[in-house]
Amino acid sequence: MNTYVCRFCRQPSDPSQPTCPLCGAPVDIRDSVSESGWIEQPPIKDMARIQFGQSHCQIAGTTVPVAEFNLAQQEMVYFSHHVLLWADPATRMQNMSLRGGWKRMMAGMPLIMMEAHGPGHIALSDNHAGEVIALPLQHGQSMWVKEHRFLTATGNIRYDWNSNDVWFVTGDDNEQETHYPMGQFGDIFTATDRPGLLLLHAPGNVFIRDLKQGESLLIQPTSLVYRDTSVRVHLHLEYPRNMGFPFWHSRLDYRNILVRLVGPGRVAVNSVFERPEGMEPIRNHSYATRHRW
Amino acid sequence: MTCGAPLDIKDKVSDSGWREAPQLRDMTEFKFSNSTCQVEGQLVPVAEVTLSPQDAVYFEHHLLLWKDESVPLSSLKTAGGMKRSIGGMPHIVTVANGPGRIAFSRDAPGELVVLPLHPGMELDVREHAFLVASHSIQYSFIRIKGLANMLHGGNGMFMDRFITQQYPGLLMLHGNGNVLERTLRPGEKILVEPGGFLYKDSSVTMNTTQIPLKTGLLGHHNMYLAEMVGPGRVGIQSMYVHHGSGE
Repeated sequence: MNTYVCRFCRQPSDPSQPTCPLCGAPVDIRDSVSESGWIEQPPIKDMARIQFGQSHCQIAGTTVPVAEFNLAQQEMVYFSHHVLLWADPATRMQNMSLRGGWKRMMAGMPLIMMEAHGPGHIALSDNHAGEVIALPLQHGQSMWVKEHRFLTATGNIRYDWNSNDVWFVTGDDNEQETHYPMGQFGDIFTATDRPGLLLLHAPGNVFIRDLKQGESLLIQPTSLVYRDTSVRVHLHLEYPRNMGFPFWHSRLDYRNILVRLVGPGRVAVNSVFERPEGMEPIRNHSYATRHRW
Repeated sequence: MTCGAPLDIKDKVSDSGWREAPQLRDMTEFKFSNSTCQVEGQLVPVAEVTLSPQDAVYFEHHLLLWKDESVPLSSLKTAGGMKRSIGGMPHIVTVANGPGRIAFSRDAPGELVVLPLHPGMELDVREHAFLVASHSIQYSFIRIKGLANMLHGGNGMFMDRFITQQYPGLLMLHGNGNVLERTLRPGEKILVEPGGFLYKDSSVTMNTTQIPLKTGLLGHHNMYLAEMVGPGRVGIQSMYVHHGSGE
């Protein structure tokens, strides 16, 4: 009986291969774990193969990796249309129907999702230096993914999206602006009738951590790549102690906007994140913990 | 032990004398004061600092990647708030006090440059290249002199200046792409693309020099480069916004 479980995709795997056949992670390397417990996601080795169903995916390149699919008859992947790098003419492509087009457009989420049906070859890549992350999902397993990190998924993975419920409002009585530091919506992927493969792309390096029950951590909102749906997330406002800093504008507010993750579950962050938005005072916000130093 | 550079590799020096900054190995750990810093990742590296109770570090507040809940934050007193705002420099510099863990990263592929500063050193750094510094290092900024330097120098109006007095300290920068360093002899000059300038000893003077370029009968352009005059170290980065073209 095979008892080897891949350290990165957490699925029973084959240790006799140079890379995990389910997620492409190298088998023959030691864990890179920081003192605080972050495990560095090892880059998928150049030309590593990942098997799913009767099809397979090969990862080419290491700086901006390309995911190249050899799709078998009756098998399908879907992806946002802007990540398509090339395709065989034989590969049948069509758009996928999505609910909530207006909401998605207002939230800046991709509006067009494409399906590619085998047999045929197709290759996908994002346009940032970073890593491709392969997440094999077991039947019934769900994963939350930050918007714009999704690269592709196999046809049996259900795609849904819901509100992140992490927001704050700035402005005055005349003009108010609602900010969504993690994006307004998050993607939820669930393997429905059988195991499936989810591929993400994250700029920079990726680090994983397993939070114990009740364990918490503060992170930059835009650095979160994915999390188990068991991990709770809410806004955290931290006000550093002002050591006499002269605010020349009374309408500026000195604070750090973070999100607080509470275990149990796995979380992944990437080392590239967007700069936090402005410094206007916050008038209203979603549920948040606060700390004034 | 103080900068994390591998000891078992040869210096990589180009024929013209540029020394490549040593690539820090993944999970390299080094000490400063009673605290430690661990560098994780190689594409966009993260600096994870474990602060001891008496130590502190400061940083531009938007560089914080994650932190322990228990790490207190406060502001660093910086002079010239209005000037800094107009000059596009970070308005607020934040201080994190130990004990606890905190991590920083920037937003572009590149290298961490670890510069342990001995007592009595002065280093000038391109604005927005500074990642984190230990509290024993004094932080100020200097105005780039000369209108031509400001308008055409491609380095903005100000540079960060880091000074150590009686205590040593640790300064970490983020260079985009690869980082190269060269030590200029007294009076030795070198021309550098302004966007590529990363840091220099304060003993190195920097001026903008204009190179006229003719393209056809009527075409006339000027190219501006930063002229560095030794003595001292100059650090450059290989990836930059090309000055004048915005590309």
